[in-house]
Amino acid sequence: MNKDVLIIGGGIAGIQASLDLADMGVRVHLVENLPSIGGKMAQLDKTFPTNDCAI
Amino acid sequence: MLDVGRHPNIELLAYSEVENLEGQAGDFKVFVRKKARYVEENKCTGCGACDEKCPTMVPDAFNEGLGTRRAVYAYFAQGIPSTRTIDPDHCRQLNGKKCGICAKVCQAEAINFDQKDQIVELNVGAVILAAGYDVFDPSLIPEYRYREIPNVVTAIEFERLLSASGPTGGHVDRPSDLAVKADIEPLEKKIKKSSRALEKFEKKYDQTSQEFYNTFTSGEFNDDDDRKKWADKYTDHLSIVQILEGLKEKAKTFGPAKRLAFIQCVGSRDFRFYPFCSGYCCMHSIKEAIIANEHEPETTSTIFGMDIRAVGKGFEEYKIRGGKTSGITYVRGRVAEITEGPEHNPVVIYEDTRERKVDSQDFDLVILATACAPPKGMVELSKILGIALDDYGFVKTSALSPVDTTVPGIFVCGCAESPMDVPESVAQASSAAERAAEIVFQPDFEKGKAIA
Repeated sequence: MNKDVLIIGGGIAGIQASLDLADMGVRVHLVENLPSIGGKMAQLDKTFPTNDCAI
Repeated sequence: MLDVGRHPNIELLAYSEVENLEGQAGDFKVFVRKKARYVEENKCTGCGACDEKCPTMVPDAFNEGLGTRRAVYAYFAQGIPSTRTIDPDHCRQLNGKKCGICAKVCQAEAINFDQKDQIVELNVGAVILAAGYDVFDPSLIPEYRYREIPNVVTAIEFERLLSASGPTGGHVDRPSDLAVKADIEPLEKKIKKSSRALEKFEKKYDQTSQEFYNTFTSGEFNDDDDRKKWADKYTDHLSIVQILEGLKEKAKTFGPAKRLAFIQCVGSRDFRFYPFCSGYCCMHSIKEAIIANEHEPETTSTIFGMDIRAVGKGFEEYKIRGGKTSGITYVRGRVAEITEGPEHNPVVIYEDTRERKVDSQDFDLVILATACAPPKGMVELSKILGIALDDYGFVKTSALSPVDTTVPGIFVCGCAESPMDVPESVAQASSAAERAAEIVFQPDFEKGKAIA
């Protein structure tokens, strides 16, 4: 049984899944195609309905 | 994002792609291609000295091509990892020209033009696919004339115009105005250069260019080649000055876009493309209209939609608040066509189904609420993983197992599964994380999952 998990995609979903698993003590490999993680959400200025900053 | 970068349990493989996957749930072998950045990740401090000096300008993908970046770049300012990357398509050195300025200014000696792609082999128990989505390409809808009319933009492009860290510093400048401003800078550079050339002549002959030109046009020095050059330089200089003055005069009349139109369901709820609702675009448009109004209180917005789907906690209240305090008008109807009026103003032709009339109205800027489309490369990736896609290219799941793909041990979350907003993506990500944890923590997971 292998205890590592591979996550493909470093947007908000991939980041959340990585952090959840890593906090449980699972070793996570997060693969992102672009030079930096963040995905589409990083491109957003604010998020609805609270107008919080996206980054 | 920062937490991912420093969490001891997370190995971040940015600028990488999954090449191959073998095995089964509990024991997958994965090959990942780490693309060459031409910058050593363990040496780069992210200081940015290289991208200050890089001479090559490239359209900035993070800003949807509305701004520029250098050939050596950080994908965006707060990006994790902060390691710079060299764009092999645009770097002068990598394309056989003489340059290497970045390597000279890098004190950490992190630039390595000989770096090669690396294949990393990983052994994992489970896989979570969170490949996200791509914005639907609205140029597939010819009647909206995206890319033909400069002041028709997508919602994500508008997001970059609104952002304080965007190409306009948060000022909602129209793309047609930005294009004029972009023309001014190279002309100014040209004028500086020609002024210097003229100065040399002026020193040499101890005369101002204008005085010389007056005597030259009266017929003197006609057989003096050097002075002829001077005269040519001077006429060129004058013509550039004239063009520049014209552009500058024009730019004085530019102001922020204050009359905005948002067009809903661009590609979604459209039987030619995606017949389903993308879910988040109504709220996205309302949010952008509210933020635009916060930036510039005179801004008014008209949202054209079949209906405004504000389904979610606090969403309906947000929509009403937008209408009452942020200058938003909601028009029920679909837009038939966008044409271009004077001053590059887009003209929206629409049917108002409440008033039962067909009308047209001109705006400063039109924003298209584009559909959520599966990401490019999803078909190839699904073949590598062996998972099935649905008819539209999203990952196939079932209603009672919304994060399970057709391959045991591979889970999906976020927009790769179907269109969804940020809170839903986060909830689904936690759900997928839990399903993956079941596999890595429970040796007898193969017994099968109990379904509610």
